[in-house]
Amino acid sequence: MPTQTAPLSAEAASVVRAFADTATRAVLHVPSSAIAPMIWDLLGRAGGDGVPELIPAGREEEAVGIAGAMNLIGHRSVILMQDNGFGNALTAIATWAIAYHLPLPIFANSRGELGEYNSMIHTISGPADALLGTIGVPVFGLDHRDEAATWHDVSVEAIEHAWLTRRPVVVMMNLWRGGAGS
Amino acid sequence: MTMTRIDALTTAVETAPDAAFVVTCGATSREMAAVADLPNHLYLLDSMGLTTSVALGLAIGLRERGRDVVAIDGDGSLLMNLGSLATIGAYGAAGLTILLLDNGVHASASGIPTTSPRLDLCAVAEGCGIIAREVRTTEDLVAGLRVALGDERPHMLRVRIAPQNAPDIPWLHADPVVLGERFRTWV
Repeated sequence: MPTQTAPLSAEAASVVRAFADTATRAVLHVPSSAIAPMIWDLLGRAGGDGVPELIPAGREEEAVGIAGAMNLIGHRSVILMQDNGFGNALTAIATWAIAYHLPLPIFANSRGELGEYNSMIHTISGPADALLGTIGVPVFGLDHRDEAATWHDVSVEAIEHAWLTRRPVVVMMNLWRGGAGS
Repeated sequence: MTMTRIDALTTAVETAPDAAFVVTCGATSREMAAVADLPNHLYLLDSMGLTTSVALGLAIGLRERGRDVVAIDGDGSLLMNLGSLATIGAYGAAGLTILLLDNGVHASASGIPTTSPRLDLCAVAEGCGIIAREVRTTEDLVAGLRVALGDERPHMLRVRIAPQNAPDIPWLHADPVVLGERFRTWV
């Protein structure tokens, strides 16, 4: 029987609350231990009023395809993933979400920074911001220096920014020091 | 005589005129536009491999409106994103039909062989919870689509087609933003 291994931090809870506050109907997610508490929280409340539907995707580019299509027809969705998956997702983000002007809010936890235990993950997570910037995707960062209320407000504004500009927008969440996965 | 891609596309459009079509890139989108360029056709001008994932997103978003979604994919494209079958099957996407136009080659990339002839792609789909069947004639294709459309479970029709592209089909230079907006307006 699977169990939740880490508590939901105030910062992560603020992001989850932002989904409901922006009428988000679906959350596409790709595995990550850091965002797992957010997934468990949504799973625990599945079917509740205003709780977005959780849809697991096998890889990040799949999530971009599914969520982008939903957003094309106004079925509001976001992606929850880890930043080392942007290598997988880059072509789909560029040729689908950007090329077709699709609003696509992506919430990614960052890896490879201080406190990282994996010796190689920084090789893709480190340049992820720059890779996204190169194809014109705005990235908004959140970490332990930000209050939980700020995590909520930035998340809401990032989602609305994606819909306003009809483009992908990334919120890079440092949950390792922010609390949820540390 | 083996069905051509044009035969399959024409049959699909005539059999499912009210469905949303998501069409894979390259010659398939170009031939679809040549058969009928309609607002319910969403051409993926690049994004090879993403057809089935886009179709799943549309099927989820359109299920409340009772609309069918037909993903027109090639064997090469599907093999780039074979995991999407697991996602589709596990989700149990209602109203989603994958029309797999299988010619055993990358017809838009000089006819390089795919691994499809050595694979039982219907068994793969069935293993993922998708109802799948082989199709070799236009009559079988019509029958298969009629069973699949409106069903509560996802379907895949593996349509064996000839490896050649249709001659003299023009390039598809449409702006993807315009294509997307046209489709969204249709929805």
